[in-house]
Amino acid sequence: MLAIFKKELKSYFLTPTGWIFLAVFLLVSGISFATQLVFPGNSQYTMFLTGLLFVYLFVVPLLTMRIFTDEKRFKTDQLLLTGPSNLWGIVMGKFLAALAVFLITIAVTFIYPLLLSFHGKLDWPMIIGTYIGFVLLGAAFIAIGVFVSQVSEGVVSAAVLTFCAIIITFIIDFMQQYMPTTEPSGLVWAVILIALPLSWLYSSGKNWAVTAAVALVLAVMLLLFWFFGRTLFFGLIGKSLGWLSLTRRFGSFSMGILSLDAILYYLSFSGFFLFMTVQSLEKRRWS
Amino acid sequence: MIRAENLSRHFGRIEAVRDIDFHIRKGEITGLLGPNGAGKSTTMNMITGYLAPSAGKISIDGIDIVESPEDAKKLIGYLPEQPPLYLDLTVDEYLDFVTEFKRVPKNRRKADLETIRDLVKIGDVRKRLIKNLSKGYKQRVGLAQALVGNPPLLILDEPTIGLDPKQIIEIRELIRDLGKEHTVVLSSHILPEISATCHRILIIDKGKIVASDSPENLSGRLSGASGAARQKLLIKGDADAVQAALENIPAMGSLSTGKGPEDGLSEAVIAAAGEGDIREDVFRALAAADLPILQMGPMDLSLEEIFLNLTTTEEEA
Repeated sequence: MLAIFKKELKSYFLTPTGWIFLAVFLLVSGISFATQLVFPGNSQYTMFLTGLLFVYLFVVPLLTMRIFTDEKRFKTDQLLLTGPSNLWGIVMGKFLAALAVFLITIAVTFIYPLLLSFHGKLDWPMIIGTYIGFVLLGAAFIAIGVFVSQVSEGVVSAAVLTFCAIIITFIIDFMQQYMPTTEPSGLVWAVILIALPLSWLYSSGKNWAVTAAVALVLAVMLLLFWFFGRTLFFGLIGKSLGWLSLTRRFGSFSMGILSLDAILYYLSFSGFFLFMTVQSLEKRRWS
Repeated sequence: MIRAENLSRHFGRIEAVRDIDFHIRKGEITGLLGPNGAGKSTTMNMITGYLAPSAGKISIDGIDIVESPEDAKKLIGYLPEQPPLYLDLTVDEYLDFVTEFKRVPKNRRKADLETIRDLVKIGDVRKRLIKNLSKGYKQRVGLAQALVGNPPLLILDEPTIGLDPKQIIEIRELIRDLGKEHTVVLSSHILPEISATCHRILIIDKGKIVASDSPENLSGRLSGASGAARQKLLIKGDADAVQAALENIPAMGSLSTGKGPEDGLSEAVIAAAGEGDIREDVFRALAAADLPILQMGPMDLSLEEIFLNLTTTEEEA
């Protein structure tokens, strides 16, 4: 894992990728810093960081689009996958290298609050809290990017798909409030949610009997919930979409609250996508 | 060293490798020979654990590649068809990465790399970016990568592809040297490649092994008789006169004559009836008839002929 981490990190700065990431991020944050905080004489640093979140949309795809697509393109995955390292080592090495580039960039932005602190009193715990949230959110986006670059074939499609995935997590929060909240709509939604893994189950096993048995069990459970715990379906669409909203949980950090709930959420979100990446790599060997 | 049992591999509906069995002994240089798309690379990818077999088992030195991949992969050095090179790194940076990745102990790394660089002769491009190297050098860096960690088993997929004739000879010699200490499996669709270096040949066609033997035996087996029996002659003189002169040799088994490649020359293919050697009789008979022999040599089937023979019979079956 360490070997891959070091090599990846080095590659980021041997190729333009790492530098472009640094440059774009610092340029945008610098302009935003100057116009929002310096010129108006404002010291609301956490607000500034929250406003910077949209930069992820453009820079995360840049950071992650090559991670696995180039390995496939130049067939270097044959070296990695036939070496004495397990898949987790490979995925984590690459993920941590991308995260390191990101952290280096974030570290540079520490200059901003330092500059502000010469001219006024800053709420440091709140700033640090926001930074922690900022980094965790970034890690989650990078994990999405790593997964997307593993499942897509080309660099461009990886970048576009990562961009789309991140934009969805942004707008989902906003869309949530327009979703129907009635109980029947929740039931329909639950049926859809159950049908998706079922169709996957059937397509991977081609086994009608097993699929039907699982479907029957789930249907019975749904009916039981419908008759004995109907409130569960109230607003279910909004609730389940909310689970995907990465940005909403950022709010607690920017208020200076280090909530374990949110930290665990981000870590498990990242972990889930890295796990999916490992699974996808494993699947490639078999299909 | 390698034992493959009932190995199959599908890609969707396409069967790339169909139920093959083979056993490769320690210290052998084995050649996988077959036309493009025969399943050579797929087989190699399965041996090295890059692809999992759809059915069947592979074990490297008794270790199953699917069940304990990390242990098995430590024993293998693999040069895929396209060398797995990071083009943005220099040769040294790349090899340093590979040594670390393959977990070569720290105190051995420097000496190991030194030996490998000398072996594949890439000392003079150490500081250059891999993307700027010629195909031949890239291939050598790929080979260097496979040698890192001194694995007992080397799997080389078309190791001489893209090299010039001088480099090909160098690489062949290198492979022969490596074969003294390593078990080597190499693949090629070019025959001289294989016959020049290998102790044993596995001929693969359409995902099946159609023959497995030493180059000499394969050649002997297909020529029908024992090796020295059939001789081909080039004689100065008329074909009918040659026919007349040779017909009277008592031990002659089969005889056919025809016009030679130039005017005034004729060709003859002869075979003794039994095990005996009739070359001396042929010389005396033709000398007596004043027909000078320009050439006489054994007529084994060349590997090309064997290859075509095996792969076309397979097609008809």
